[in-house]
Amino acid sequence: MPDLYGEAMRFLTALALTWTTFAAGAFATPGQPTDGALGLQPAVTPIMEDIVSFHNILLVIITVITLFVMGLLIYVMIRYNRKANPTPSKFSHNTLLEVVWTAVPVLILIGIAIPSFPLLYKQDVIPAEIDFTLKATGNQWNWSYEYPDHEVAEYFSNMVEDEDLEPGQLRNLSVDYPLVVPVNATVRLQVTASDVIHNWAMPAFGTKMDAIPGRINEAWFQATQEGVYYGQCSELCGLRHAFMPIEVHVVPQDVFDAWIAAKAEDEYSEAADAIIAEYSAARETRLAQLD
Amino acid sequence: MAGHAAKHDYHLVDPSPWPFVGSVGAFLLAIGAVGNMAGLVSAEHPLAFMYADGSWGGLALGFLIVIWTMIGWWGDMIKESKRGDHTAVVDIGMRYGMILFIASEVMFFVAWFWSFFEYAIFHEVRMDPALATWPPAGVETFNPWHIPLMNTLILLLSGTTVTWAHHALQHDDRKGAITGLIFTVALGMCFTALQVYEYSEAHFAFSMADGGNLYGSTFYMATGFHGAHVVIGTIFLAVCLFRLLAGQMSAKKHFGLEAAAWYWHFVDVVWLFLFAFVYVVYQG
Amino acid sequence: MSADAATHDDHTPSMWDWRRWVLSTNHKDIGTMYLVFAIFAGIIGGGLSGLIRWELMEPGLQVFTGEDTGWGALFGNAHNYNVVTTMHALIMIFFMVMPAMIGGFGNWFVPLMIGAPDMAFPRMNNISFWLLPASFALALMSMFVPGAGADLGFGGGWVLYPPLSTSGHNGPAMDLLILSLHIAGVSSILGAINFITTIFNMRAPGMTIHKMPLFVWSVLVTVFLLLLSLPVLAGALTMLLTDRNFGTAFFAPEGGGDPVMYQHLFWFFGHPEVYILILPGFGIVSHIVSTFSRKPIFGYLGMAYAMVAIGFIGFIVWAHHMYTVGMPVDLKAYFVAATMVIAVPTGIKIFSWIATMWGGSIEFRTPMMWAIGFIFLFTVGGVTGVVLANAGVDQALHDTYYVVAHFHYVLSLGAVFAIFAGWYYWFEKIFGVKYNSFLARAQFFFFFIGANVIFFPQHFLGLNGMPRRYVDYPDAFEFWNAVSSWGYVIMLVGMVLFFAVLIDAMIRRRKADANPWGEGATTLEWTLSSPPPFHQFSELPKIK
Ligand code: HEA
Ligand code: HEA
Ligand code: CUA
Ligand SMILES: [Cu+2]
Repeated sequence: MPDLYGEAMRFLTALALTWTTFAAGAFATPGQPTDGALGLQPAVTPIMEDIVSFHNILLVIITVITLFVMGLLIYVMIRYNRKANPTPSKFSHNTLLEVVWTAVPVLILIGIAIPSFPLLYKQDVIPAEIDFTLKATGNQWNWSYEYPDHEVAEYFSNMVEDEDLEPGQLRNLSVDYPLVVPVNATVRLQVTASDVIHNWAMPAFGTKMDAIPGRINEAWFQATQEGVYYGQCSELCGLRHAFMPIEVHVVPQDVFDAWIAAKAEDEYSEAADAIIAEYSAARETRLAQLD
Repeated sequence: MAGHAAKHDYHLVDPSPWPFVGSVGAFLLAIGAVGNMAGLVSAEHPLAFMYADGSWGGLALGFLIVIWTMIGWWGDMIKESKRGDHTAVVDIGMRYGMILFIASEVMFFVAWFWSFFEYAIFHEVRMDPALATWPPAGVETFNPWHIPLMNTLILLLSGTTVTWAHHALQHDDRKGAITGLIFTVALGMCFTALQVYEYSEAHFAFSMADGGNLYGSTFYMATGFHGAHVVIGTIFLAVCLFRLLAGQMSAKKHFGLEAAAWYWHFVDVVWLFLFAFVYVVYQG
Repeated sequence: MSADAATHDDHTPSMWDWRRWVLSTNHKDIGTMYLVFAIFAGIIGGGLSGLIRWELMEPGLQVFTGEDTGWGALFGNAHNYNVVTTMHALIMIFFMVMPAMIGGFGNWFVPLMIGAPDMAFPRMNNISFWLLPASFALALMSMFVPGAGADLGFGGGWVLYPPLSTSGHNGPAMDLLILSLHIAGVSSILGAINFITTIFNMRAPGMTIHKMPLFVWSVLVTVFLLLLSLPVLAGALTMLLTDRNFGTAFFAPEGGGDPVMYQHLFWFFGHPEVYILILPGFGIVSHIVSTFSRKPIFGYLGMAYAMVAIGFIGFIVWAHHMYTVGMPVDLKAYFVAATMVIAVPTGIKIFSWIATMWGGSIEFRTPMMWAIGFIFLFTVGGVTGVVLANAGVDQALHDTYYVVAHFHYVLSLGAVFAIFAGWYYWFEKIFGVKYNSFLARAQFFFFFIGANVIFFPQHFLGLNGMPRRYVDYPDAFEFWNAVSSWGYVIMLVGMVLFFAVLIDAMIRRRKADANPWGEGATTLEWTLSSPPPFHQFSELPKIK
């Protein structure tokens, strides 16, 4: 029997928490989901910023439409129920109305399309100036990464199992060998798979690309904030589909360079891990002091 | 329903065992097929002869029941037709039915053509360079102007002979109808024979196990399904021939033959598309 | 069986005579069998969704642990979770909604509404039905034979994407499922041929195509979609089968095949399919709204041709399910535009329903409550569809719970509400007995609240990034998942009430009137007794 009281209290706390912070926004930690959250994760790339603002427009539009339909329904239910209106009228045509409710949705849709297409092209057209290429391969059930421009050999990135979790690591999200990219770098992402279809998805970046055996798909991102970001495989790939997360560390250029140098020596280099760990620790103290 | 006082011409069919029997047959055919292809029981199982990997027992059982259903069902229809249940309006209904059935068959072929065109036109997305050309490396396609052209002419000719048979029947010329049908059936058999011969000459494999690739898959499945339809159409026409000989068709009532002819024309048109695109345009 | 034994036209065979059902050539009996079948499948499909919600109630593995619980590893492991979602979807779509709407209500009321004595091909009608239990049996069997390695069943999602459905599942489970869907497809194609022929060829004198009731229109459009889309699925399934068993390379990259090709073929069927699931519901709702507003339907022609337009556009938008496969951007742009266009005819329908109610004299009988619930909830599901149609945003939402929320609003709160609306609209006509409308309305409220509590929070989960088809999720998704699972419990109460209504009606057997709804109910089925005679319209009705 579940703990009903605890359940209810958790419900109320989370409700209060999220809905008060919703208006204030930006309560959530970037790069990971927040319990009870209502919306998209905070954006850390220009694409995701555009997605968020476009989604905000859409949310308003669809809310208004839904409330409008609801309002009409409530109105007719009150105004034209059997008691309020015992004798029905018999009209069944009104050309003007029909034209209006065809034309207005068309206009709304055109209004939606105006921001929609530029966003689409921005996402899909890889910028001419890219800093480097990153290759991700989906496997049952982990990701392997290559930095073809930096001569880092392919390394595998596995989820940290529950029993191995260290403090600060997130269940089902943290991995043993994460990706590292420099802040503000424009990265071309190549995605493929070795067995079945997977999908490399990073909510905070607004990136989601199918990893398809026999094909190489391309996407791009430019992370503008340092931090750790988590994503998950987003195409059903079998038994452990829920357990092949993605972890990206966005770090300053010099940290990245040091990390790459260590990785180029040995793709599972402990020194490389140490560089990231050291940087992260320093960053956390700095953030703690800021608070 | 015979004997009831309906004041309309529709055909209210008597209760019939065939739908149920046919469904049981379809079910048994399906598990028989899965047993045969993938194995549903181990080789030691008492039902191994039916459903173990590679066994044909289950498949045969299902197939027999399906065939039995077809014979019983269509046999009943012939009886009903004789009894006069197929009034003018019922006849129109059957025409709709046949046309719609053919429409669904057309959409079935759309799937096969679609995957052929996808490969013929958009092959360059393949990662393996040997597979990213057209035709893929190592595939030697058929010369369309040999057997395929021959087969095209055969099918076109058979389209005219079946029309001949139909017109003859409409003018009560039984002899002409029989001759026309015999020619059509014979041409259909020629087509099948030539296609079998062509397959045996092919320079590309069907299965990847024999070094085949998508070219072979699309080629054999598209032409193969067409070939299967030719065989079915030939049987359909042959049945019409026997019914004609048995005196079951008249100048006024011969929808069976018309349906067979429509089906035959459909098979013919599919072939023209196969010939035009698979053999000629994308011969490589 | 011989007909001359029947002294009287309407000599109805006994309920308990097995031949009446097994050998049936009567559209109403076949319709009833379809409805019973749909309820049975709905229980199984709904039960499987209960396992899903139970597993997702808390983070971590609860149900599909793969560990011995003392009763054995009862539900298996994470693979079996995938099997359960896959089968939940397939059962709900192919064995619950389609049989209920097209097989059940379509069979019952298309002939009655057009004034025909039966379907065009009564015997073929029966094989359309009997192929379904055969197909269902194969689908259920597939859950209990090896799928991937030693794991039982096929767990690749209802879309059956290769290579997971080819090289990723080596056991016979997938083969059984393929043939199950082939047989279900044959059943539906035969049914489609039957309906089109019936509607074109058997309308009563005077019933021109523009006088046909909207439910008949909706079924007509639906079965055209079936006729033209299912064979393409059959082709795709056959390719899966030969890839699995005969070494073809359709979807195998090592042989030049392309997994994306499958997705095109599947969605060329799959998108029309979702309209197949909803269009008959549109028809049902039109009748109910008009009946209980006591007004003729507003903009009849617009309503009919909106459905034709939806059906037509439905064929040219399929790749909006594939925005992340790496399509050329111009192609994506086309699919964005085409998809959004569907909102226009759908809007026409929503507003015409409201205009029908406008100025009416609305009575809130049970079916009307479900119908109004439908209109509102379908709008909610529809507008999130428009969000997803924008490839730019879909990049964030694809394969997340936002999509799950979208399609359950149009299916589980759209199609299912329409089914219950139709069920309570025609219950007395079909079974000839009255039902307890208090219980039935209570069911509505539990369903309405329960289903919203289940699915509304899933929008939040999806926006926040929770991927679908996950047996376990990061802890930060716990809250809304718990809410969603509690919603399921509320809805279960509604299910219990549904059976309470049935049992109550069965026990009390209060004789129903020919027309329980009064002057608003104008279609032909209300001119007949409840239940109608075994063979109706021995003399064809004349439509003025
Ligand atoms: C009954 C079933 C049904 C119906 C009717 C719909 C209707 C629509 N669907 Fe949905 N859809 C599904 C079932 C359905 N869908 C399923 C099952 C999936 C997931 C499959 C899977 O992956 O497993 C899916 C997925 C899906 C996707 C893919 C998402 C993804 O995987 O990333 C998209 C994207 O475009 C989409 C769009 C739409 C649109 C635009 C409509 C439109 O038809 C909606 C139109 C209706 C309205 C808009 C509301 C009423 C209109 C007005 C009140 C007028 C004014 C409105 C405006 C101007 C906006 N759907
Ligand atoms: C018609 C379609 C339909 C219906 C009704 C439902 C109903 C429900 N669904 Fe389902 N669902 C799908 C279609 C449907 N679903 C699809 C296509 C998927 C995607 C699968 C995939 O990813 O591959 C999915 C996936 C899916 C998931 C995501 C799983 C995952 O991604 O991991 C979840 C999770 O909560 C879920 C839950 C539920 C619940 C709680 C219900 C409840 O509403 C269920 C309650 C039960 C009923 C409402 C049935 C009652 C009806 C009857 C008893 C019949 C009555 C008949 C007559 C009166 C004639 N469903
Ligand atoms: Cu990899 Cu899902
Ligand atoms: Cu769609």
